[in-house]
Amino acid sequence: MSSFARMKFYCDEKRCIDCDGCSVACDEAHELPVGISRRKVILLNEGIEGKEFSTSVACMHCTDAPCEQVCPVNCFYIREDGIVLHDKNICIGCGYCLYACPFGAPQFPTDGAFGTRGVMDKCTMCAGGPEPTNSDAERKLYGQNRIAEGKVPACAAMCSTKALIVGDAQSVSKIYRERIASVGHGVQSAPYGWSKAYGK
Amino acid sequence: MKKVLLLIFSSFGLYARELTGMVPLASQNLGVQNGASRLNSSELVHNILYYQNYGELFTYLQTHWFRLLFAIILIGVVVVFAIHYMIIGAKVFNENCPCVLVYPMFQRVVHWIAAFSFVLIIPTGLIMMFGKYLGGGEFVRISRHIHAIGTVIFIIIFIPLFYIWIREMIISFRDDTKWIFILGGYLNKKHIKVPAGKFNFGQKMWFWMAILGGFVMIVTGGAMYFQDFNFAILNKLNLDQIDLLRISAIAHNFTGMAILALFITHLYMSLFAIKGSLQSMITGYKSVHELKYLHSSYYRKLLTKKFISEDYQED
Repeated sequence: MSSFARMKFYCDEKRCIDCDGCSVACDEAHELPVGISRRKVILLNEGIEGKEFSTSVACMHCTDAPCEQVCPVNCFYIREDGIVLHDKNICIGCGYCLYACPFGAPQFPTDGAFGTRGVMDKCTMCAGGPEPTNSDAERKLYGQNRIAEGKVPACAAMCSTKALIVGDAQSVSKIYRERIASVGHGVQSAPYGWSKAYGK
Repeated sequence: MKKVLLLIFSSFGLYARELTGMVPLASQNLGVQNGASRLNSSELVHNILYYQNYGELFTYLQTHWFRLLFAIILIGVVVVFAIHYMIIGAKVFNENCPCVLVYPMFQRVVHWIAAFSFVLIIPTGLIMMFGKYLGGGEFVRISRHIHAIGTVIFIIIFIPLFYIWIREMIISFRDDTKWIFILGGYLNKKHIKVPAGKFNFGQKMWFWMAILGGFVMIVTGGAMYFQDFNFAILNKLNLDQIDLLRISAIAHNFTGMAILALFITHLYMSLFAIKGSLQSMITGYKSVHELKYLHSSYYRKLLTKKFISEDYQED
């Protein structure tokens, strides 16, 4: 195993407000065609009081990615940092990764002749693909490579309530721990620094 | 004329309300109405919650077993027949006439169209299965399309194939159980009278595998090809579409193994094990000598019905 931490998404369902900002950001950032949505916001336990919540789902970049295991042409590869990517020039669009995926992440455009199913498309955690980083070929096939530019993936960057967070596993869990720890400490009633500047 | 046109155009207003009602709302979860897959939109929640139903099973089988089992069948069956050919060898019959027309023109045409579809489907299926050793990409992708084209040919020929031979392919316990006990007489080169009608039990197995197995392959393959469909019956069976796709993939692979094994057997029997077998499917005629031994019940029937004038005597 590598010494790098693994990159992970986490969606805090207590914060997610079902605004679809992440999926719109993703669609726009990568200029995805209609019918392809790498990231989706789903509503669970719809209508059940106290149990209803929404969460944002895309490729979860699994540690033991089932898609990578079942692929008959080995088009998947897992980066040192744990991001699960695939090579669209090798993919044959058989659909097996979709059957193996617990999150329904793989997408298939119907772009071939007679509307046949094309090669698979999925969330890259904004890390592009095997083509040269930030090349036109990479942008065309996989969308932006924001990771290479040192940017947070578009979905998490856009999230208005910061429910969707992304980063190496330790950082994500640190943020989550801090959030949990701060629960029950009351609501901030005045802006930061108010009492210092103006007194009580 | 103008008034007529005006009337037509103005009447569109009546439908305007209905049309506006059909415009999908711009929600991601309604993506299916905008051309997205049901699997990734309206059914996504179910896909996530019920993964353990068939998702884990499919992943386990595809990861560890399917490719291995196909390799075992592909190599194993070929090796077994190679050994058979070396030790026992081909059965040779006097191919000189008198001959009997066993396969009329229509049957031969149907057979060869079905054969052509199998020749397209089976190798391309194996190419996909072992795609990683071929590097994937365009070659395997084209194989996937040829697999589908071959299936269309098979679907067209499926009913004629069923129709031409169904009567003679019905299992007869009298002949077929005996045939199984002597393994069709293939374990020696002697000319013994094998209990079989127009088709022996081996041929019957292959026929029923092609028909029943073929039907399973069409249905499961079709499900995987179209991927997005909406059948009310699924809800009644309490199945999600993704479940059906996973079951289809599992059934497609296992049925494929059985078909592959019998397909290789059929090739070996027709091309190597029985001399002149291939010729009979080209000309339609089989020699009376061969019929007497390999299809003895059929031969007796032909004698009693006077299709053959006198009993054939071996030199």
